Amino acid sequence: MIEILLIVCAPLIGGLIYGLERKMRARMQNRQGPPLLQPFYDMWKLIDKQAFIINPYHTILGMMHFISLWMVVAFIILGENLLYVIFLHLLSSIFLILAGFSVKSIYSHIGSNRELLAILAYEPILIMLGVGFFILNGSFDISVIRENSPALASLFLLFLAFLMLIPIKLKKSPFDASEAHQEIVGGVEIEFSGVFFEFLYMAKWLEYIFIYLLLMLFAGDNILLGTGLFAIVFFLVNLVDNATARIKMSHLLKIVLGIGLTLGMCNLIGLSYV
Amino acid sequence: MSIYSTLIAAPLLFAVLVFVGTRRVRDVLSAIFIVILGALSLSNIFSFNAPLEMSLPETFHVLFILIDVAVLAYFLWQGALLKHAYVIFFALVQILLYGAVMFLSPSIVSGDIFVDDISAVMLLVINIVGGIIIVYALEYIENEEFTSLKKNGFIAMLFFFLAVMNFIVCTNNIEIFFLLFELTTLCSYILIAYRGDALSRKNALQALWMNQIGGIAILAALIFSILQYDTVYFDVLIANSNPLYLLPIVLLAIAAFVKGASIPFDKWLLGAMVAPTPVSAILHSATMVKIAPYLMLKLAPAMSGFVSLTITLIGTFVFFSASLLALSKDYFKEILGLSTIALLGLMMALAAIGTPEAVTACLVLIVFHAISKALLFLQAGILEKNFHLKYVDDINGLVNHAPLVVFFIVIGFASLTLPPFGAFIAKFMAIESIAGEIIHNPLYAFALIFLALGSVFLTLLYFKVVTKLFAKDADVKSRHVEISKFYTIPSFLLVFLLLIGMYISFERAFLSSLEIVVPLVLIALIPALFSLLLFKKAHRVKEYNCGEKDDIQLSMYYFHMPRRVQITLTILATLGMWILLLGTIV
Repeated sequence: MIEILLIVCAPLIGGLIYGLERKMRARMQNRQGPPLLQPFYDMWKLIDKQAFIINPYHTILGMMHFISLWMVVAFIILGENLLYVIFLHLLSSIFLILAGFSVKSIYSHIGSNRELLAILAYEPILIMLGVGFFILNGSFDISVIRENSPALASLFLLFLAFLMLIPIKLKKSPFDASEAHQEIVGGVEIEFSGVFFEFLYMAKWLEYIFIYLLLMLFAGDNILLGTGLFAIVFFLVNLVDNATARIKMSHLLKIVLGIGLTLGMCNLIGLSYV
Repeated sequence: MSIYSTLIAAPLLFAVLVFVGTRRVRDVLSAIFIVILGALSLSNIFSFNAPLEMSLPETFHVLFILIDVAVLAYFLWQGALLKHAYVIFFALVQILLYGAVMFLSPSIVSGDIFVDDISAVMLLVINIVGGIIIVYALEYIENEEFTSLKKNGFIAMLFFFLAVMNFIVCTNNIEIFFLLFELTTLCSYILIAYRGDALSRKNALQALWMNQIGGIAILAALIFSILQYDTVYFDVLIANSNPLYLLPIVLLAIAAFVKGASIPFDKWLLGAMVAPTPVSAILHSATMVKIAPYLMLKLAPAMSGFVSLTITLIGTFVFFSASLLALSKDYFKEILGLSTIALLGLMMALAAIGTPEAVTACLVLIVFHAISKALLFLQAGILEKNFHLKYVDDINGLVNHAPLVVFFIVIGFASLTLPPFGAFIAKFMAIESIAGEIIHNPLYAFALIFLALGSVFLTLLYFKVVTKLFAKDADVKSRHVEISKFYTIPSFLLVFLLLIGMYISFERAFLSSLEIVVPLVLIALIPALFSLLLFKKAHRVKEYNCGEKDDIQLSMYYFHMPRRVQITLTILATLGMWILLLGTIV
């Protein structure tokens, strides 16, 4: 029962995290920052706007991105197969990319293209992460991972690799080239407006839930450790976001794949020796 | 037994029948034969309970030797006629080795025919997918400018190919296996050279000499098998395999790499694209290249830890490199070809791991790769025939002209990567089985990295093409092109097979029901939303594009692949093969 409640409320919780993040980032920059519920005020405003669409493919694929991402989050909460969750997440990203390519807009195309390259950077690391949990627990099932003791120590190198891909998924500096507001005006987002942009906006909140739920897996059955991890990583990601500048897509690929794969490899090889 | 002899004899018979009667008679007869073949292979898999083993009479063996000599002589003649040094040289080596095999007389005998559950699955793929492609070929070849005799010859050759393939998955005798291996080489040589122009001849000869290397490997394997194990039968060889004398096994595995067009033998399959599209479709999906994973599956129980690990690493490396190389390509069929090479590498890697789970994953991949690739090649043929499109860069906004073709292409690509389709399940199980191996041997972690990177490259590649289908260049008026029913019906049948596959994976619990239903609903939701949401209240607008009014031309992006990367990948793969061979000898 509690799972269903969590699934239904997932976008709202994501919105709260997003509000919290804006507040925190502002404080780091010595600003007052918007109220905690600002994301929801934005949402109301968006719903109230007049609806514009470019073509139905574009709009529907954008909605599908949101719906499938919600399913991904639901699968994690229900404790399904981790590897499967990673691939279902790929499907949801593919919807967004197709949406970006279905309009005749260079910014949207560049954004989609960069989104594809970002997948190239983080997907192998996610798969290795899944395999790491599999070697440790003998199963890909998230429910099993949650019942076992924390994996943080045994998968520490993979944990570091995972930290690198959080900014990619949450579109934070230095790895936010796929959105890059000042440069390509939000990439895929640019051609969405009004209530249809709302879906993309909420999908972003769901990405928060997705990434932090994966993070909590490192804590296994230890809820206290999980909460601690969340708090520390949440702070860290925003600190890095404030302190670094955006890097180019090609550098992102080199850095994340180079360091991430090496860390993951070392961790997997180490695991089989222990 | 009667089922198998019919499966082999019926297409042979029809290959002759095809020349009599008019086109109409030929088409109707073909359809009947294909239905019979499909039904037989289906009934075989349902009634299958125990492996069947039996011997062929001596007259057959004499006949096989005669055909063998004739085929090798034909290769030599072709080499001499077209002045191709490699072909002549390899043909001579083959004749010498074959003579040596004839002189040796092994004493341990077994059945010539052996059909197990793996063969049964292969028969199903060959006859059903191959049959559907032939139905398509009936229409396709009529749109080419050849004499009717040559057209009938084309269909006859395809049926002959099916017969050879049906036989090759049923044989237990390595000598007969060699004959059939050479016959598939012969078939592909004739089919690739079919158009008769200079390029076709060149590529056909390339396919010939590369496959001859495979033939030589099998002959060498035969000689070592006779010397070390005193037998020419697969089952005896595998049951008695000694980790110190694995040379015959490894040589057969190298023959599999050649047939499977693994890097560095990839050129022949890519060159085969010059042939009429049904040839590519049948080579890539149901026949020829599928010998490779089949042979690996047969050999897997005899492999030592070293051989199994090395083949897995080579296979996954090929998966990684072929998908990387495909990213820089523009020719639609070449993209499909490289992805075939990649997936064959993965199949062979899985077969070599040999755990029950890996074997299942390999079989699932064989079946669904065949269906998806056939579907995609049929669309490549339609694009060429009806739209005169060969390059991905030209297919901008095809969705406006031919929504049905776009639908098939999207399904084809999606079924190779995304849940809940069969090939996805295979990839999923592949990761599971490799993860299981890492626990025993950390070197398998490299195989995992190759697999993870390769599968991401393939996703990138497929959706790079798919996005092009949706990209709108200008506001073109929808120009509807009529597509022949003979083209669309085979495609629908293949999509139907994909759906059946989904049901089977549900039945056999490869994935939980939730895991199958959710993505299926998601995908079904797209057309549903299309018909439900009309967006009547929404205003239609042009793209905002930051207010920029300049006319833009959208084009495809490529990933620059320097030549040295290609060469490095080829060298590494070749090195892997040598390590495999030398490691076994030492």
